[in-house]
Amino acid sequence: MGKGRYLIRRLVYIVFVFFIISILMFFIYKSMPGDPVTMMLGDSKNNMRPDDYLELYNRTRQQLGLDKPLVIQYLIWIGNMLTGNFGYSTQYKQQVIQVIGTPMLNTVMLNAASMIVVFAISIPLGIATAVHKNTVFDKFVQVITIVGYSLPSFIIALLFIFAFAVKIPIFPISGIRSPGFTGTGMAFVLDTLWHMALPVIVMSISGIGSITRYVRAEMIDVLRMDYIKTARAKGLKEKTVIYVHAFRNALIPIVTIATAWVVSLFGGSIVIESVFLWNGLGKMLIDSLMQRDFALVLTLQMFYVILSLAGNVIMDIAYTIVDPRVRLEN
Amino acid sequence: MAKKKKDAGRKSTAAAAAERMVMGGMPQQEQDEELMQSPMRMVVGSFIRDKIAMIGLCAFIVVFLCCMILPFFFPIELNYQDVTQANVAPGFGMLKIPDGLKNNAKAISSGSTFSVGIDNDGNVYEWGTFPTEKLKNIPSSDEMGKLTMISAGLDHVVAVNEDNEIFTWGNDRMGLASLPIELKMNTSPIKQISAGYQFSLALTESGRLYNWGSAYLLNIYFPEGVQGNIAQFEDNTNIVIALTNDGEVVPLSNKASSYTNVPEEIQGNTIDIALSDESAAALTSDGRVYTWGNNVNGSMDVPEEIQGHVTDIEGGRYHYTAILDDGTVYTWGNDNFNQCDAPSFDSAVTTISAGYYGSYAIDENGHAEGWGLDGYLMGTDQLGRDLFRRLLVGGRMTMTVGFIAVIISTVIGVLVGGISGYKGGKVDNLMMRLTEIVSSIPFLPFCIILSSILGNSIDQTQKIILIMFILGLLSWPGIARLVRGSVLAEREQEFVTAAKALGVKEFGIILRHILPNIITVIIVNATLDFATCMLTESSLSFIGFGVTEPNATWGNMLNGAQNGQVIENYWWRWLFPSIAFGICTISINCVGDGLRDAIDPKSKER
Repeated sequence: MGKGRYLIRRLVYIVFVFFIISILMFFIYKSMPGDPVTMMLGDSKNNMRPDDYLELYNRTRQQLGLDKPLVIQYLIWIGNMLTGNFGYSTQYKQQVIQVIGTPMLNTVMLNAASMIVVFAISIPLGIATAVHKNTVFDKFVQVITIVGYSLPSFIIALLFIFAFAVKIPIFPISGIRSPGFTGTGMAFVLDTLWHMALPVIVMSISGIGSITRYVRAEMIDVLRMDYIKTARAKGLKEKTVIYVHAFRNALIPIVTIATAWVVSLFGGSIVIESVFLWNGLGKMLIDSLMQRDFALVLTLQMFYVILSLAGNVIMDIAYTIVDPRVRLEN
Repeated sequence: MAKKKKDAGRKSTAAAAAERMVMGGMPQQEQDEELMQSPMRMVVGSFIRDKIAMIGLCAFIVVFLCCMILPFFFPIELNYQDVTQANVAPGFGMLKIPDGLKNNAKAISSGSTFSVGIDNDGNVYEWGTFPTEKLKNIPSSDEMGKLTMISAGLDHVVAVNEDNEIFTWGNDRMGLASLPIELKMNTSPIKQISAGYQFSLALTESGRLYNWGSAYLLNIYFPEGVQGNIAQFEDNTNIVIALTNDGEVVPLSNKASSYTNVPEEIQGNTIDIALSDESAAALTSDGRVYTWGNNVNGSMDVPEEIQGHVTDIEGGRYHYTAILDDGTVYTWGNDNFNQCDAPSFDSAVTTISAGYYGSYAIDENGHAEGWGLDGYLMGTDQLGRDLFRRLLVGGRMTMTVGFIAVIISTVIGVLVGGISGYKGGKVDNLMMRLTEIVSSIPFLPFCIILSSILGNSIDQTQKIILIMFILGLLSWPGIARLVRGSVLAEREQEFVTAAKALGVKEFGIILRHILPNIITVIIVNATLDFATCMLTESSLSFIGFGVTEPNATWGNMLNGAQNGQVIENYWWRWLFPSIAFGICTISINCVGDGLRDAIDPKSKER
């Protein structure tokens, strides 16, 4: 079976999984407290005659399609979701699609920055500790990384806020922009980066902890292989042996763990965003849950589901690129 | 190493020795027997040699035992809160009377978490944990001269010197620093002063009572003919009660409450009154104590043996302290901070004072002793709850939730993985698809939304159970995949074929033959999952979607510490839970890693 066919099969399968999860989400949506019709009509119950209200109620109910069987309701709902008609946010008094733009950008920015930091640090560090295993340097990194991935991110956040925003105030405690900031261009970018520094550092620490350990373990396994001995025996430079022969092979399992980590990073950023009051999707999710703004909640949930499935697709694609042997028939 | 093993082998059981005797003790055979170790013993052996893992195990056991056993010694009432004890810094010494005062005391007054005292020379002393730094700005002795009376309140102090001048320091907001003009103009000597909950009171010899400070919490109303006729007053956070020169007890309030319900038989016969926070007490001339109000924490349960012997009475927050006619002191009421452990004195006690959770007594030689609340090991939170006790029960809760969630996920994971690995074919395909679906559900967002939607109509205990199940039901795919892989490998082994040939039932094969071989993998993963579940639970509780107040977990204890002001000023509120949590998860991860290395012979080369 060729790579192309394999990928297509996986994609079809992922779409299938998406629909399964969307059914689950639909049931969450149905079990949300409160009658959507009453919520939509709001105060008009008090201003209208009971008969008129009942008529309006039934008409609205029909418009929303709530009188149809569950299957039809689900199809209408998923149709709306897929066409970007996410509903009306009661909290912002706007269509959901109009309010999620900026927070999504902020969240993606935050997570992308953390990803770059984590991969830029943990992969070289993992390789270095694997090559120099059992040295003092390696042991030191091992201890640091176990602390890094054991501590929950919010505790690291509190420690860093205490150290670098309170005791030595070089970073802002929270927020995304300085109050009353009006600068544009370079000043705007710098201000955002300045606010982003602490959340990114905090989010990176646990990632660096786990990815470094993983890269190290995989590299050690690979470095013991016979083909590495062969490569060395051929007289190749040590650098070539490590970065070309060994690392490429170690990359296969690393891709798996890294993709899973990226997906969980977005989930974890909910906590970080709420600590640093970062105006992103995670903070929005918590706020809208508190405000019982369910249209928004469900849209955000959909975003996380799609992100997670996209992670799976990327993992598959990465596999086919990294590992020439990929067949995975069974 | 080999020598060590041999020694260990020599000390083997009597059965082995007997066997050797029967077999004739061939040396070659003995060697083989010693090298053979069951996989479990090998794992344990190499685990014990792993220093980091052993340190981790010890640390975890210590934390675990602390959280499981210590709550029995430091019980906690989950709904307890007390605003007067909010945000108290950690530390002891609230009752540590300074040396200069210890044997030369004239008057001592206990405030919320600090105390003040004056010695017979009129010098002022201050000790304890200060709620505000302003309390350290005591007016100089040149300015004050010789003090005669002193009183400590929530966060301020009022004192009077022999020239009848009133001084106040500490919290100066809400008008606490501005004395009423009539009081300044007054020429009659001050008889009694009191610093209360954000207000101050002063009584003159002419029987007039003056008050200043916050009028928001306390509204003083003088019934007809009381002002100018007051002999004594007592105050708590809700009311001021006066004793008139005629021995009548008059609540200075125009609203009926449990404090205004004064028993009729004591009117005209009362010589002393006292107020705790929920009840009032009056001492009649025959030495009997009468109480009225709300019987919170047993403050109204006057012991029968002291009735008729009481000569003086003072009230703390939920306790009363009294001097008996034989010169000893007696305390009753709430005992949560050992308020009732009155010490014994060498000579007769002449003066007592009680305030908040502390009591002081001074005997006729000027020797002073204090008892009651001495301090908080780890401070208190924003509702005045003891952090140390909450840390203990919080740890218990966090570990219980994590543990049960792991049990749930492990059981599901082992079942799904085991069946799918053993059966193979269509069942395997179906189960693995299911696993994949569950594992592609975004974990934390789903936990949040489920706990928020399902959790809003149920009580706290059900919510805790809900959290356990959400965590358990969403985190099994990892362990299922691992078990499936191991079962696939074990299934092809010869002993399984042999068991099949012997006609052992399928269930028996899985349970008796395959499971023991993969149990180590399961244990290692359960250990690492335990740390992850604790982490997720506390993340959920931290953002307010997990276990909710008043139940404590390490996550929701940090919930209140989300703003810069708390992080800066009340460091103990987030530092101690963080340290406890850090030690716990780091040690569990060390143990898990150590176990994984121990069962994986490959890893020794790492």
